[in-house]
Amino acid sequence: MPMFTKLAHKTSTAAKSSGQTAAKTAAAAAAAKGNVTSPAGKHFLDNTRWQKRLQKELMSLLKEPPPGVTVDVDQAHTKLTEWVVHMEGAAGTLYEGEKFQLQFKFSPKYPFDSPEVIFVGENIPIHPHIYSNGHICLSILTEDWSPALSVQAICLSIISMLSSCKEKKRPPDNSYYVKTCSANPKKTKWWYHDDTV
Amino acid sequence: MENNINDDNAPKTCEYDPNVNQDELIKAQEKQIAEEIKANTAMVGSLDGLSSLEEEYSNDPVYSSKVKTLLPKFSNVRRTRPDGNCFLRGFIFAYLEYCIHHRDELVRFKKYLESSKEELFEIGFPKFTTEDFHDMFMEVVSDLEGSGSIDRVEAVCNDAGTSDYLVVYLRLLISAHLQKNAEFFSFFIEGGRTVEEFCKQEVEPMYRECDHLHIVALTAAVGVGVRVMYLDRGEGDALVSHDFPEDKEPIIHLLYRPGHYDILYKA
Repeated sequence: MPMFTKLAHKTSTAAKSSGQTAAKTAAAAAAAKGNVTSPAGKHFLDNTRWQKRLQKELMSLLKEPPPGVTVDVDQAHTKLTEWVVHMEGAAGTLYEGEKFQLQFKFSPKYPFDSPEVIFVGENIPIHPHIYSNGHICLSILTEDWSPALSVQAICLSIISMLSSCKEKKRPPDNSYYVKTCSANPKKTKWWYHDDTV
Repeated sequence: MENNINDDNAPKTCEYDPNVNQDELIKAQEKQIAEEIKANTAMVGSLDGLSSLEEEYSNDPVYSSKVKTLLPKFSNVRRTRPDGNCFLRGFIFAYLEYCIHHRDELVRFKKYLESSKEELFEIGFPKFTTEDFHDMFMEVVSDLEGSGSIDRVEAVCNDAGTSDYLVVYLRLLISAHLQKNAEFFSFFIEGGRTVEEFCKQEVEPMYRECDHLHIVALTAAVGVGVRVMYLDRGEGDALVSHDFPEDKEPIIHLLYRPGHYDILYKA
């Protein structure tokens, strides 16, 4: 699985990349509207479809969690749009014995809109693609997100990203990024760069 | 120093303000552009006469003379929203419209859809997410079997909740076809990527534009002939056309303009 690192902020390419990303926002917004008055009829127009999908994912994560992963079910039941996932560093890796927490936030545009995923809590993994504020540079969390992916797929990607790490260190632009970024990592224009970490 | 420059007179455009979060500005601008596109174009628009194309290019001699050559063969056009999904929305709209008038094709398509699910699992797509998209597609097709009318197709294809599900499933079908025939398709993929990487980056995410490869894969997978008429600044008055797959009689006609596909109707 290719991993990516954030090298720099893009500051002058709004026009160039507006096509895809802009359109993404558009259709996602349209999807979220639910369009209750459309003549397609009630049959297909289910405003709670995203909730059903999340419940399905929650069940699946409970029944077949990736190794070292547990989801906080009570929390997810209290608020379906915000999950906390506990993750253990895999045996035989640099993170063996460490415990981490991931926070997932979902919008009603899910799964067309990717979830917002960050590390939270005391222990943020020290990794070249993970900023000290918990933001993760992973392309499937933004540009390469596909609605066919899932919480499970994201967890697997993050486990694999941690497991393949050869040296524990922060991204080179950590201090600048953490000072200037938005609280929501999806508001960052990530600059993905294929890396062999 | 003799060289006194009055700083107050220096132009102040394009100044970089380190206190402004540039990423957020860009994202906001992108969102605004997207909202405009959404507000101005339906996912699949209403049936327009070809004259609307002529009007669009009344000041453009090259395009306008090319549009004229379409006139005897085609009568109408349906515009799609330029959001990167235009080919797929155009394809599925035109195909479902064909199917409601050709019931045997609808039956064949339904059978194909049913069996396609297992194929996607074999490629390794996660079962429960794939099932969601598959089930929605089956619901739409079953519904058309019963009450199939053009109004219904219009409604389904313009309902974001439904239309986006169909688009995702078509993307998975394309990805599966490319990956199953990876040895062949690897010769056409640029940037030193594997077929799988290409699919993850250019096929499976929403709003990625469909290129030649996507169309080759989709038409081969579904077994549906598509003719694309290319309206561009290429030489000559006539439009270049291309059939996908080459040996199949086209039942869907699409008009291509650089970066965008609309649906064409034969006269």
